[in-house]
Amino acid sequence: MFKKKWLTAPYLVFILCGTVIPLLAIFYYGFTDQEGRFTLENITAIADEEHAKALGLALLFALICTVVCLLLAYPVGLILRKHAGGRKGLVVFILILPMWMNFLLRTFAWKALLANNGVLNGILGSLNLDPIRIINTPAAVVLGMVYDFLPFMILPIYNVMVKIDNNLIEAAYDLGASGKTVLTKVLLPLSMPGIISGITMVFVPAVTTFVISQILGGGKIYLIGNIIEQEFTLNGNRQLGSGLSLVMMVFILISMALLNKFDKNGEGSII
Amino acid sequence: MSNILELQHVSKKFDNDLVLDDLCLEVKENTFMTLLGPSGCGKTTTLRIIGGFTTPDQGCVLFEGKDITNLPPNKRQLNTVFQKYALFPHMTVGENIAFGLKISGKSDEYIRDKIKYALKLVNMDDYANRDVTMLSGGQQQRIAIARAIVNEPKVLLLDEPLGALDLKLRQDMQYELIRLKNELGITFIYVTHDQEEALTMSDTVVVMNQGYIQQMGTPENIYNEPENAFVATFIGDSNILGGIMLRDKLVRILGTDFPCVDTGFGVNKPVDVVIRPEDVILGEAGKGQMDGVVSHLIFKGVHYEMEVQAGGFEWLVQSTSMFPVGQPVSLSVDPFNIQIMNKPESEDEEAVVVDV
Amino acid sequence: MKNFLKRFYLIIILLFLYLPIVTLIVLSFNDTKTMGVWKGFTLKWYQDMFSNPQILNAFCNTLFIALLAAVVSTVVGTVACVGIMALSKRQKNAVLQATNIPLLNADIVTAVALLLAFGMFGISLSLGTVVFAHITFCLPYVILNVLPKLRQTGTIHFEAAQDLGATPLYAFMHIVLPDIMPGVFSGFLLAFTMSLDDFIITYFTRGAGINTISTLVYSQVKVGIRPTIFALSTVIFVLVLIVLLLSNFLPEKMEKAREKAEKEGRELTPEQRKKRRTAKRIGAGIVAAAVVAVCVLASPYVGAMAGKGEVIYFYNYGDYIDPDLISAFEAETGISVVMDTFDTNESMYPIIEGGQVSYDLIVAGDYTIEKMIENKLIQPINYDNIPNAANLEPAYMEILASTDPGNQYMIPYTWGTVGILYNKTMIPEGRITSWKDLWDPELAEHGILMMDSLRDTFMVAELILGYDMNTSDPEELQKVVDLLIEQQPLVQAYENDSARDDIITESAGLGMIYSGEYLYCLDENENLDYVIPEEGTNVWFDCFVIPTNAKNKEGAEKFINFMLDAEAGLATFNYLTYPIPNAATMELIDEEIREDENVFPSQETLDRCDRFHYLGKEADQVLASYWKRFRGN
Repeated sequence: MFKKKWLTAPYLVFILCGTVIPLLAIFYYGFTDQEGRFTLENITAIADEEHAKALGLALLFALICTVVCLLLAYPVGLILRKHAGGRKGLVVFILILPMWMNFLLRTFAWKALLANNGVLNGILGSLNLDPIRIINTPAAVVLGMVYDFLPFMILPIYNVMVKIDNNLIEAAYDLGASGKTVLTKVLLPLSMPGIISGITMVFVPAVTTFVISQILGGGKIYLIGNIIEQEFTLNGNRQLGSGLSLVMMVFILISMALLNKFDKNGEGSII
Repeated sequence: MSNILELQHVSKKFDNDLVLDDLCLEVKENTFMTLLGPSGCGKTTTLRIIGGFTTPDQGCVLFEGKDITNLPPNKRQLNTVFQKYALFPHMTVGENIAFGLKISGKSDEYIRDKIKYALKLVNMDDYANRDVTMLSGGQQQRIAIARAIVNEPKVLLLDEPLGALDLKLRQDMQYELIRLKNELGITFIYVTHDQEEALTMSDTVVVMNQGYIQQMGTPENIYNEPENAFVATFIGDSNILGGIMLRDKLVRILGTDFPCVDTGFGVNKPVDVVIRPEDVILGEAGKGQMDGVVSHLIFKGVHYEMEVQAGGFEWLVQSTSMFPVGQPVSLSVDPFNIQIMNKPESEDEEAVVVDV
Repeated sequence: MKNFLKRFYLIIILLFLYLPIVTLIVLSFNDTKTMGVWKGFTLKWYQDMFSNPQILNAFCNTLFIALLAAVVSTVVGTVACVGIMALSKRQKNAVLQATNIPLLNADIVTAVALLLAFGMFGISLSLGTVVFAHITFCLPYVILNVLPKLRQTGTIHFEAAQDLGATPLYAFMHIVLPDIMPGVFSGFLLAFTMSLDDFIITYFTRGAGINTISTLVYSQVKVGIRPTIFALSTVIFVLVLIVLLLSNFLPEKMEKAREKAEKEGRELTPEQRKKRRTAKRIGAGIVAAAVVAVCVLASPYVGAMAGKGEVIYFYNYGDYIDPDLISAFEAETGISVVMDTFDTNESMYPIIEGGQVSYDLIVAGDYTIEKMIENKLIQPINYDNIPNAANLEPAYMEILASTDPGNQYMIPYTWGTVGILYNKTMIPEGRITSWKDLWDPELAEHGILMMDSLRDTFMVAELILGYDMNTSDPEELQKVVDLLIEQQPLVQAYENDSARDDIITESAGLGMIYSGEYLYCLDENENLDYVIPEEGTNVWFDCFVIPTNAKNKEGAEKFINFMLDAEAGLATFNYLTYPIPNAATMELIDEEIREDENVFPSQETLDRCDRFHYLGKEADQVLASYWKRFRGN
């Protein structure tokens, strides 16, 4: 509209230097061995039992986390659509607010909450209820993931929801639809862009996380993120780390491509 | 004809704003009724109460004699055509039309036939597989109507359905709606703020303002015999003057006595007088009831519109003959064309419930 | 009823989101360092925070980086959006695809990619690289928020303004920008939040002396997070909350009042008008004040970066030195100390090896130092500048000399053993004697903790099997892995960081721990006891070393000398509770503690022990592969 293509120039510089070149660096390391010769070993290493298992586990946990987030977030979107349509600023504010408390600390706080003698069990104990023992289990890791990424599911869903014209809902009721039909036939398809954008925002970081599994998994849960992180820091094997990163990226890209088939218009946005 | 729909003593408040106050309305079967009024007059709220999207604070809604006040919209035998069409953007034209039929569990074959029939009815025969977002405003309007009527409602509610269309299209659609109404033989309740639309299409016009019904009647009745100054100004152009009813059939306006046909206002009572601009007859100066001078002149196609200064009042006059600006003229009015109204004692009284 | 359920549901979700926040805020007032026990109300962590230069520095850095990254990415991103609108469809798609890459990429990959790219182009890490990296990952958030708004706005108003004689720039600033402002603002807010919350990318791209709250937290993981960090986070949280509440909602509320007044047909009285203007001004003022405050806070630090006086860059474990000692050193010598922290030797080593950051002084573990000597990453120390080296206990220097002949490269800072800490109320005193007890199903019900550390964890199994703790024999390692896998079902958690907290709070009954934690734990829970198992254990030293690329070697030596002073040693011992290999300090320590064999083991016990050694690159990889085999199981 403004006929000023050159305005993208500064941004393109950032894309080039901050995204494209570093990505090429990953490619370079991913396809070379420690002496700088071309090899596919770093890529095929994903077939090693411990790598494949970690990737599978990461995909599984991320899937569970995404589904749980969706199930939790969708009703929130529905309720907020009806009752907080005009207070968008406030809703966004409340959801973003927790992020101003450091991410690592928030995750540690869960450790304190969930510990066998932790806060939650203290409360349960005083109510004469059985203690929960989920710290250091997969359940705790998924809980941590859900906690950390839930706002990223709620926000896009809410954003699409408030944009749905109330007339459409009334039209559906008018045409005889029950509440359930309105949900499945009108609200759900119309909020699809938000759902998809939410799934992306949750699934990707969940697949790649290593901090959450490290803190809440008691070191017993080893995800692909942990492997990659250890290759770079503990083992100093940049080549293998890069190779595995590339494989993980491919898996994410495939998931996203599948997902984007449902999102024709790409209308979903975080805010 | 019996009443298909009745509103009894309906009141509605939004945040302490009284939108409807003790409204009573009866709708006869197979009529085209229009709720007409300026924005904020309560006409859309009335429609939404009938449709079931808003519940009244007081009063009840009867449909074929049964109380449906608390029945949700999906259980009512009414359908609505929404102001902005409210077509489902994720469905094709056909899917939109089929929506209500699928819910009521009609067979695929029935639905297919019905879509075809409805599209034919609105002159959109080959559009079943189109994407609704790619249609023009007029086309979307037709689909919205088709979507509503395939469900064979006994009453079709239309909420300013032509508001977003351009003038030519609007006129075409007005005829289409009249045709549809006649073909379907069902009741239409139509909401608009456009008086021309109301007069063109309706059997019955209900003029509303500030939550009250001002007047209800046939278009002719409303136009020719407005019952108060609000109706008179809102419907068409008019000259509204203060006058004194000297006795039955004689009113004094601007110091001149005019014979009229109204009786029963008492003696020497202040009243409002409505005279439509086309009812003022201009003639050679000195030969009418009053004299004046033409101050403005506009050519309007079928007639001229003039403003005439007479008796200290600027009269609006429409005439097929032209009198140039500055020319002295005489004014006269046929007694039948003088409409006498009670003067409201306060601003609020103008909005009283009018007996219908 | 339905509404009640809805409200209930929202409250549950909110509770879920805010529970950890509340927990952290509560813990910041808790009179103990241990997470999860309430020991009474205190404000001492807040006092600590304001007197700890490192924390204040991290605070300034965090806000400075977040603000700068958010501002730059908002400006660049918004301008780019205007440009993107002018692109052809294909170009637009290409740009938007590229925009999505950082969003779809794992943070760790983005971080490492940036690190590798900086390395390839020989760019040394600094504050600039961190800001650059932050701008890069903030930009997509801005674009994704602004672009839809811009599309929605369309060209009509822009064209109308130009038609009325406005230049394109004027039309953009006065017509388009106000219209897309909500998008710009939320883009800015999100960018700011993401930057504030980032850890991984900062960690990999930062230069010497650059700590943010995240990196500080992470580096404290090894020794346990001090509540000072909770206090800091609480302050930031409350600060941002207040600024945003005031700047955002005050004017909005006033606006609503005005609308209401207008609706009711009332004109605003001059007084109300004045109030409204004042409110708006206050809102804008608060934002401006916050910005200025951050800049002021950051400026001395940025000034320091530009170079002021003599500086030494010091790389240390997180929270591994008494901050008062640094202040005292600075006051005494006039040399400023810029300290960076890391959490493990393994994460420190690649940074030094990469050579993109240069430090003057490092504290590192002994076997990592052997690796650094072999790879010529560190240089001999000049003892002429360290007269206090005479205070060092000769027995320990002798042990170190076995791998560093003549004690050329390393000067010990702390030392200790690895043993088992257990709770005497759950397990009878004297019951624990051997590493094998960690395999005892009977004890497992109390909760067994193992370390999550390649060498330490392997060592336990190696000692049980009677192998050398420095073995790299594949057959032996396979048996070690098998033994550890066999133990897995009995282990409650593998953790280094919070093992002591779990034992203090009695969430676990026994676990592997560094001897230095014993005194600390005893302070918090008197029922604990520490055992060096009969099979022996690893004796470790954390030592001062000077990197080859140090720029201020003499300054570093002055600092080492300062730290070897008897009083400084005592301060260190009191702060860390780790044994100090300093004979002069020993004399100042309470006799009761000095004689505690758990802290200062007897020569007889030490004879049972061994030290880790660097085994060479190949052996390292063998170990790593077996470690992965065990952990991935």
